[in-house]
Amino acid sequence: MRMIGRRLSLYALTAWVAITVNFLLPRLMPGNPVQTMIGKLTGQVTPAEMNAIQLSFGGSFKHGLFSQYITYLTQLLHGNFGVSITLGAPVGAILRESVPWTVGLIGFSTIISFAVGTFAGALLGWTRGSRLDSLIPAATFFQAIPYFFLGTVMLLVFASNLHWFPVLGAYSQNVTPGWNWAFVGNVIRYGELPVISIVLSSIAGWMLGMRNMMITMVGEDFVLMAVAKGLPRRKVIMHAARNAVLPSIANLSLAIGLVVSGALLVELVFNYPGVGDLLLQAVLNEDYPLIQGIFLVITLTVLCANLIADVVYLALDPRTRTEAAV
Amino acid sequence: MSADTFDIQAVTQMNGQKERDVVPEVERGEFVLEVKNFSVDYGVGENMVRAVNDVTLHVRRSNVLGIAGESGSGKSTLVYAMTRLLRAPGVISGGDVILNFANPEDEKKFTAVNLVTANEKELRRIRWSHVSIVLQSALSALNPVLRVGREFDEVLKTHRSDLSKEQRRARAVELLSMVGLNEDRLSRYPHELSGGQRQRIMIALALALDPDLVIMDEPTTALDVVTQREIISGLHDLRSRFGFAMIFITHDLSLLVELADEIVVMYAGEIVERAGARDLYEAPRHPYTLGLLNSFPPLHGQRHELTGIPGSPPDLSDLPTGCNFYPRCPFAMTRCEHEAPGLRAFENSDRTVACWLHAPDSSVPVPVELSRRATGARDAVALLEGRP
Amino acid sequence: MKILRLPKSPKVLLGLGIVGFFILLTIIGPWLAPYSPSATNFAANLTPSAHHWLGTTSLGQDIYSQLLVGARATMVVALVAGLVATVLSVTIGVAAGYLGGLPDDGLSLLSNVFLAIPGLPLLIVIDSYLPVNSRSNSFVIGLIISLTGWAWGARVLRAQTMSLRNRDFVEAARIIGEKRHRIMFTEIAPNLLPVLASSFLFTVLYSIGAYVTLAYIGLTSTAVWNWGTMLYWAQANNAPLSNEWYWFVPPGICIALVGTGLALVNFGIDEFINPRLRAAGITSRQRRKLGLPRRVRLGLTPVLRTTRAPRVNPAPAKLVSQ
Repeated sequence: MRMIGRRLSLYALTAWVAITVNFLLPRLMPGNPVQTMIGKLTGQVTPAEMNAIQLSFGGSFKHGLFSQYITYLTQLLHGNFGVSITLGAPVGAILRESVPWTVGLIGFSTIISFAVGTFAGALLGWTRGSRLDSLIPAATFFQAIPYFFLGTVMLLVFASNLHWFPVLGAYSQNVTPGWNWAFVGNVIRYGELPVISIVLSSIAGWMLGMRNMMITMVGEDFVLMAVAKGLPRRKVIMHAARNAVLPSIANLSLAIGLVVSGALLVELVFNYPGVGDLLLQAVLNEDYPLIQGIFLVITLTVLCANLIADVVYLALDPRTRTEAAV
Repeated sequence: MSADTFDIQAVTQMNGQKERDVVPEVERGEFVLEVKNFSVDYGVGENMVRAVNDVTLHVRRSNVLGIAGESGSGKSTLVYAMTRLLRAPGVISGGDVILNFANPEDEKKFTAVNLVTANEKELRRIRWSHVSIVLQSALSALNPVLRVGREFDEVLKTHRSDLSKEQRRARAVELLSMVGLNEDRLSRYPHELSGGQRQRIMIALALALDPDLVIMDEPTTALDVVTQREIISGLHDLRSRFGFAMIFITHDLSLLVELADEIVVMYAGEIVERAGARDLYEAPRHPYTLGLLNSFPPLHGQRHELTGIPGSPPDLSDLPTGCNFYPRCPFAMTRCEHEAPGLRAFENSDRTVACWLHAPDSSVPVPVELSRRATGARDAVALLEGRP
Repeated sequence: MKILRLPKSPKVLLGLGIVGFFILLTIIGPWLAPYSPSATNFAANLTPSAHHWLGTTSLGQDIYSQLLVGARATMVVALVAGLVATVLSVTIGVAAGYLGGLPDDGLSLLSNVFLAIPGLPLLIVIDSYLPVNSRSNSFVIGLIISLTGWAWGARVLRAQTMSLRNRDFVEAARIIGEKRHRIMFTEIAPNLLPVLASSFLFTVLYSIGAYVTLAYIGLTSTAVWNWGTMLYWAQANNAPLSNEWYWFVPPGICIALVGTGLALVNFGIDEFINPRLRAAGITSRQRRKLGLPRRVRLGLTPVLRTTRAPRVNPAPAKLVSQ
């Protein structure tokens, strides 16, 4: 439990750092881009909207920095992320629309990729020296391809040329969103290719990492003992794999940030209505309130995912549990 | 002990403690393990290093064979290769390892299996049910994420499919009590136990299936002296109760003399001396054995100055011509430099030694350290009383 | 590098070859380019031909020239970011690991916070606030990327330093009375080299990805040619959906190749650091010649009965073979 407590405080601190960076960045940048933006907006938006935008950046720049910071934090605590300049809607509401898509797509892909990659890595590590080793250079190559590029190629080959998959978006325009089978089935159908792209891009990382850990574990005495006990091969592999997977899970928190970063761009390629697509629009339009809101939401989501990974690790490694109990 | 366990006592009585100096024509059952001209290499081709060279040894049923030597002498390589557990780049380059195990229904009938030619399936069946192993570090030998109980359950489940879950649990409890541990240890993880407890658990685990042979690879080296003593005396009891044979590897000869019936001393992958434990301890015949004995304080009897062996263990890839021990030997002669001494019978006893000093045609008088007669009966009794 | 004796496996050699090729391209690429990458004086949307090896863009620019010129900006940013990030992670990681105590707690916390923040979104936020003229500056971009990419290296280096700190030779230097910074740089640093090299390669790999991504979403100056901007223009002109593979596939393949090269070299370093990853001492040729199994199974030590006779005993004495 102490470990979870420690991790929680780390994540709280990280969240605070992210928020503060968000607050300070526009003020530290040469030329004060926010003020420029507000200047440009004057006359284009209603005074009420203007006020909301200003509030989300910490209120009027005439006040002191600290007072602005307090205003900024208060606004965030009330769930007020400001108003999107281009979309004219509150950032919070926009994010509520797109976050579920992203969490669904990336979360699902990551779980599949981790599970399959870890399994394949365990197998590769165990059969080290066999013909399967020739998979390694290929996996390395896949690992090095940018997510968005692989997504583009997949889209080109399998959707627009072979027509195996629908081309763009998260669901067909012919179905009405709602909790019915037609819609859910359609979402799954449209999700297949993005999921495959993300899995293909991220799987090699898990696989190669697990392979190395597996090789290290097979060198341990307890695995040799499992053989000496005359256990069936499957059980011997499990002895090694059960231990080799622990560092993989410990590294999840490290990798989730990278995977999410890469996967966000896959949304963009597939016009998936998630946060990644939104981020691109926001960047292109210099929609600062939206950019900041997205950054905060992504950071908080990643931190939550980290926490889940920590809990899983704790459940799988008895050593950390006793350490906390003593 | 469960009812269907075969009684090893009968075999022991039958072939029994015969006179040591007679090599009997034996039935298969007398030896649990016969290793013949066994050689092991690391690597092949130019970079090959011979780690075990032409080793022949036997383990009598219910006896303890000690293997002593410095690190790098090939003693661990020998036993791992024997059981086909040696990791790459280890390669068995010759010889046979015959395991004779009793038929559970009829203890006079024995099955002989050559481990060197056995396939994976046969090995899997033999492993643990007939040959089990205890390693030096129990912490690394136990899976860190499994409860101790799981280790017992797994072994019993694999080899004794006739047992129910409750029976397996009962057997695990029984095994723990044999090594003096409470059954609550079953729900513990390895890291929650002390080094001594872990090693007891490994021993209990090794005995789980009433094996014919238990291999102990320096099981007490990582433990403090008090725990070491407890484990050794515990092993003594267990052996007399259940009659399994043991191969006990250590670099500590004084420890071995307490436990072993017979001792083999290895140097640079070869056996340099083989003798009854007491004979070897009291009257070493090989200069290397003498050096080993002098580098440990005796557990009983008079203290003497520890001298150790000059020089360092040999580089197996660059062995000297002639006798391997020649560069470090205090009694080296010119002959030792050029000719390798073979293992030969010593004075018509069943002791064997590989040293030119004891060659029948040797013109040099044997140094007094290596020609002592075994100490008299009184000393031997004192030594025995010191036994646990 | 003598200290870093990389295993001469085909994997590592291939990796070194690929990386070497692209470094060469970074240096001479812009001179090799047949045309100016921005010149729009060709017909638009040409397919690959002898004149335009990779065709032209919808603006009539030569794609092959863009690829060659783009190598430099991509690699320079990656190297700058990799170097700066490595300096940061060495300073912070080694200091934390060596000093221990309160400084360690503070520095570890700092790197853990940076590890937990997703790098790319932070990068995008920072970059979106940058004035346009800074976005075209390779060094500014490299610097910002390094800010989000140093933490992993710092963590690994800290762990390695901590294990080195307690070893005998460092202890000895301390007893002799060597100064702290001297111990740090002369005793500890050389032994960190493999870990350092590995973390440098990783950061370069990360930086390429980050830079290309930033360029792809249009956050670097589109006036600077790099592989990311090429992809940006290709995407903006719908090249993927109009089957103009020659426009967007080459830069993507180049990125992947550089990454593969770096990762392959890293395998070598991994094997150097962790001996268990090294292949056992039997080469595949020997294995085939002797008929050994391709893969040595755990618990099935191979048997190879050699004909070589055991050491012979020249003495006439009887050999006991009991």
